[in-house]
Amino acid sequence: MAGPETDAQFHFTGIRKYFNSYTLTGRMNCVLATRGGIALLLYFKLGSKKTPAVKAT
Amino acid sequence: MNENLFASFAAPSMMGLPIVVLIVMFPSILFPTPSRLINNRLISIQQWLIQLTSKQMLAIHNQKGRTWALMLMSLILFIGSTNLLGLLPHSFTPTTQLSMNLGMAIPLWAGTVITGFRYKTKVSLAHFLPQGTPLPLIPMLVVIETISLFIQPMALAVRLTANITAGHLLIHLIGGATLALINISATTAFITFIILILLTILEFAVALIQAYVFTLLVSLYLHDNT
Repeated sequence: MAGPETDAQFHFTGIRKYFNSYTLTGRMNCVLATRGGIALLLYFKLGSKKTPAVKAT
Repeated sequence: MNENLFASFAAPSMMGLPIVVLIVMFPSILFPTPSRLINNRLISIQQWLIQLTSKQMLAIHNQKGRTWALMLMSLILFIGSTNLLGLLPHSFTPTTQLSMNLGMAIPLWAGTVITGFRYKTKVSLAHFLPQGTPLPLIPMLVVIETISLFIQPMALAVRLTANITAGHLLIHLIGGATLALINISATTAFITFIILILLTILEFAVALIQAYVFTLLVSLYLHDNT
């Protein structure tokens, strides 16, 4: 089972240190990044739908 | 026939007043409060059963998980007794109502998820991505795991509703078929009656199994989050 004690066996460098699917921190960051990306996508999509008058000018 | 088939699932009323609350509260009368160190036979048997179930169910939990012992035991007793009482002829079974089962499933599931996010935030978030997932599949799996999380309470409620409702409908249909066949062919009616007996025995088992499955799944969700 994954946990802080098993994370020590993985030695990543660079961006892989923070975004990977092996360590607890890496998995958490991937989940947050995916959800944040979806939230931003929905925000800009819904935001552009709400202001058609601005687009017409 | 069509109206009679689903009439038993309608909200019960007596002299125009809804009595569903009384029916939901009724099973608690069957579990008297122990008032002595050594109680009568009924309470002793119930205590023995509760001890057996709680030992088996709480074995996997840590100290935090065991604080839910009363909740889990109450849940299995309530659902089990409600399902069994529903097998009595002409009775109303509250657990055939999806609203009731959602009312049990959603708060319990939400409680386990909030407990997990509150005390083990990192682990709870990391659970949404299985370890060792290939890089291109990460976004898709995060979405799939999130959806599967939100489907859990729906599945809990619908599983219980569908199992109990389907069983009652089958008993109603096969009982009606037995009655209809008596005048047509006694042998066929007898065979149908044997099927009805076997189905009733099955429904007794399903009533208890569904109570156990509901409680076990809530217990497993709690174990994942504590």
